[in-house]
Formats: sequence, structure tokens, C-alpha cells
Amino acid sequence: MNKPIETLFPQALPPRPHNLFPVWLAAALAALWLIVRDLEISFETLAYGVADMGEYFSRYRQPDFSDLPRYLELMGITLATALWGTVFALVVAFFLSPLAARNLSPHPLVYRAAREALNFMRAMPDLLLALIFVAALGLGPLPGALALGVHTAGFLGKFFAESLERVDQGVYEGVAATGANFPQLVMYAGWPSILREALGYVLYILDRNVRMASVLGLVGAGGIGLALHDTLRMFNYGQSAALILVILSTILIIDYASAWLRQTLN
Amino acid sequence: MTTVSIWRWPTPSGLPPLSAVASLSAVLVAMWLTAPLVEVDFVRLFGSLGKMVAFAGQLFVEPEWEYLPQLLDKMLETIEMTFLATMIALAVSLPLGLLAARNATPHVLVYRLVRDLLSLMRALPDLVWALVFVSAVGLGPLPGVMALAFVTVGFMGKFFAEIIEVVDHKPVEGVAAHGAGWLQVRLFAMLPQALPDFVGTVMYILDHNLRMATILGLVGAGGIGYDLVMSMRLFQYDRLILIALAIYLVVTLLDRLSDRLRSRIIHGTRA
Repeated sequence: MNKPIETLFPQALPPRPHNLFPVWLAAALAALWLIVRDLEISFETLAYGVADMGEYFSRYRQPDFSDLPRYLELMGITLATALWGTVFALVVAFFLSPLAARNLSPHPLVYRAAREALNFMRAMPDLLLALIFVAALGLGPLPGALALGVHTAGFLGKFFAESLERVDQGVYEGVAATGANFPQLVMYAGWPSILREALGYVLYILDRNVRMASVLGLVGAGGIGLALHDTLRMFNYGQSAALILVILSTILIIDYASAWLRQTLN
Repeated sequence: MTTVSIWRWPTPSGLPPLSAVASLSAVLVAMWLTAPLVEVDFVRLFGSLGKMVAFAGQLFVEPEWEYLPQLLDKMLETIEMTFLATMIALAVSLPLGLLAARNATPHVLVYRLVRDLLSLMRALPDLVWALVFVSAVGLGPLPGVMALAFVTVGFMGKFFAEIIEVVDHKPVEGVAAHGAGWLQVRLFAMLPQALPDFVGTVMYILDHNLRMATILGLVGAGGIGYDLVMSMRLFQYDRLILIALAIYLVVTLLDRLSDRLRSRIIHGTRA
């Protein structure tokens, strides 16, 4: 009796579930193939490049730390830029996010306007903003800090607004029942409820801003990015390696510090 | 009712808690100390307001419509780079995520090793890798895709590992009790539980990569970024406004899409 069980007991088993995974996989692979063709990525170049990659990366083997004090100063400027950008974003988001939270906003029109403003800030790439601010303010870290601030205010504001929307409605009702007005509602019911979450978001944004600040120098907005760009353009691999190591170690330190801080907060 | 009593802190003493005061003053001191480094100059800042307004005024010019076909071409390239890089990163970081999850890794040593590898990969910003890859394989979208995929593996692998670490243990034990092998337990007990969060993560990464891909062109790594910087440098505001609008449109569309998809998946009404 080798007949499949379905033919013996037609009612015994539920129908076999549809598994669409192969279809999706095939569609994704087809799309990838089209993209690779359209981008004209030639695998010859890739293979050639990968073969060369070993030789290429060996040029970075001897980091040249002779200029270390200057690198550290540049890194300091980068960190300061990230800090100022983050604080700017925090201040803007602090005032905008209650207006952009659906359950707190004084009027649906205000809600829509605040949401759109945050969307707009988020959609403009920070490097484009940095270019614009450099054109208006001149070279230096200040336009970089402003660009980071405007761009990440969009992110922070959205995160804060969503956290404020998730707060239990009872908390708001309780405070509102004591006769609190809008600012009091935000200060006594909103922020205290989301403080931990908000600190987590701020740390994440600070982390992101340090990474971004280290490349903003490319458009003349100060920091370590410009030095890296210049040394790479001059094929000065020793100094590039030193700069990359400085950036890498700083970011790793910040990573561990923020992970530690997050753990102590929770 | 006096005005003093309206703004009391919600603490027994009515004064702000020590931790809040301490952290706030620490940030303020740090800002005060670093102000000269950032060259904060409010006179300059407000003095430049006029220039900003003038710049904004210059943006309102008749867009250069002849540029539109090239813009669409470049925008398509940007989106394609985003998808390609995200797909490659997804394929690489699924197995790496399994190896880097404490409850799915074959050995503690592998777990530590993969974790450190992932944090090294995501440490440097995408643009730095793009710079390095451009000088390694030449100009074009290829180094951009490589840089995006490389950094994204670092992020996605970590997110995947963290998602897998919090799956419920009971289904895993149930599947294992049926005699499932090492791979079967991971495929049929862990991944199905992690799937909704995976989709959210992939959407987030896709969003991040699209934003990044729009500026990678700055260092010659393909996409719209090159045109963006060039039109800025050459004062071609009639092009700049079109490029900025296109970026805004595409980024916002993906943002809305991922928001909708994520809330649909998180709130249980899965398609």
C-alpha cells in the first residue's frame, strides 16, 4: 500500500498550505538581475577588484601617526559638532513633538503642520543641508552642527511624537482632570512617561551624529572628514590609515559608552 | 492660586531631582567648553540669516525641465543601488545573525567572534567605506553598493541577532522534542517567530540606505549625489530645486510605505 494518505482518507487532512516563498525568491532574484544589468556592474571589474583588494589594503598596513595631535584635535572638533547638533535637535524636537502627537496636539491642523515639518527636515539629507549652510555661513564646524541639528530634529521629533502617542490615555486623562492646560499636560503627563525611551533615542541620535560628523568635512563643514578625504586623494595611505583608526576607535568607545549608559538606565 | 504653585516639579519637595540637574548641567558645561571648537558665533549666525533668505529666494526659479530625463535616470540608479545593497546585506546577515545570537550560535567563541566582526563592520560611516572602495575599484555605482552592503551587514546582523535572542523558548523546545536537527530548529522554530521583526528591520535599513545612497555620489560612488553637489557648486539652482524635490519625494514615499507596513505587521493584521 504505497498510495499517499490523501487518497485513502480524502477528508482526514486539511489542504496543503500554499507556500509562496519560492515565488517571492524568484521575483527578488529576477529584480536583482535586472538591477545588476541596468547598473552595468561587470563581474569582471568586481573579480579584478577583489583580486587587487588584498594588494590595495596592504598599502594601509603602516599607519603614520606622526601627526597624531592634529588628528586628535580634529576628532575633538568632530565630537563637539555632533554634541551641538544633537542638543540643537533635542531643543527643536522638544517643542515640536507634542504638537506632532495625535493625542496631544491642540488642533488637527497643527498636528498635520508639525508632522509635515518633521517629515521635511528628515527628508533633506544632512550633507545637502551642510552644503547650503556652508554656502551661507562660510567654512567651519558651525554649519555642520546646524545641518546635523536640522536633519536629526526631524528624526527625534518623530520618535518623541510616536512615544507620546503610545502613552496610556489614562495618564493624560488623570492630569487633565486636575485642570492642566496644554503645556502642563505635556510637562507633567507626557515627558515623565517617556523619559527613559526618549533618553535612549537621544543616545542613538548622538551616536549617529558622531558617525555623520566625521564625514561632514567632505563638504567643508569642519572635522576629521576633510583630512581623510585629502589624504586619500593624495594617495597618502599611511596617514589615511591613521585617520581611519582614530575615527574607528572613537566610534567604538562611544558605542560601548552608550551601550553601558543604556544598560544603567534600564 | 499663586503663580509659584503652577510650575512645581512632581516631586515631594517640589524641586527638580538631583540626577536631572546634574546631567543637564554636565551637558551645558560640555557645550560651553566646546563652543570655541565649533566656532559658535551668534553674530555670524544671525548675520547670515539674510544670506539664507537670499539663497532660498534664488531657489525659486523656473526648473530646468530638459534635465528631467537625466534626473529620472540618476534617481532610478539611486533606488537600484539601495535595493541591491539591501538584498546582498540581507543574504549575508541572515546566517551571521544566527551565529551572533546567544541562543542559536553553535559555540560561545563563534558568538563573540561574529559579534565583534559585526561591530567592526558598522563602526565606520558608509561614506568612509565609499571613499576607500572608490579608490579601490574606481568610480561608479559598484563601490557605492559595496560600501552600503558592507556597513548594512554590520547593522542588520546585530539587529537580527537581537531579535532571535528574544524569541520564545517553548516552540524551540517543542520542535527539538520532535527530533529536529540543528538547522531545522533554527529554520522552523526560531525564524518564524522572528519574521515580523525582521521585516521591520529590513524596512528601516532600506530607509537608511536610500538616504545614504542619495549622498554617496559626493565621493563618486554613483547615484544622484554627484549631480546634487555639482549643481550646488556651479550655482545651477534650476537643477538643484528639481533634485531636492525628487529626493524629498522618494524619501517621503518610502518613509510612509515603511510606516504603514510596520504598523500593519506589528499590530497583527498580517497580509
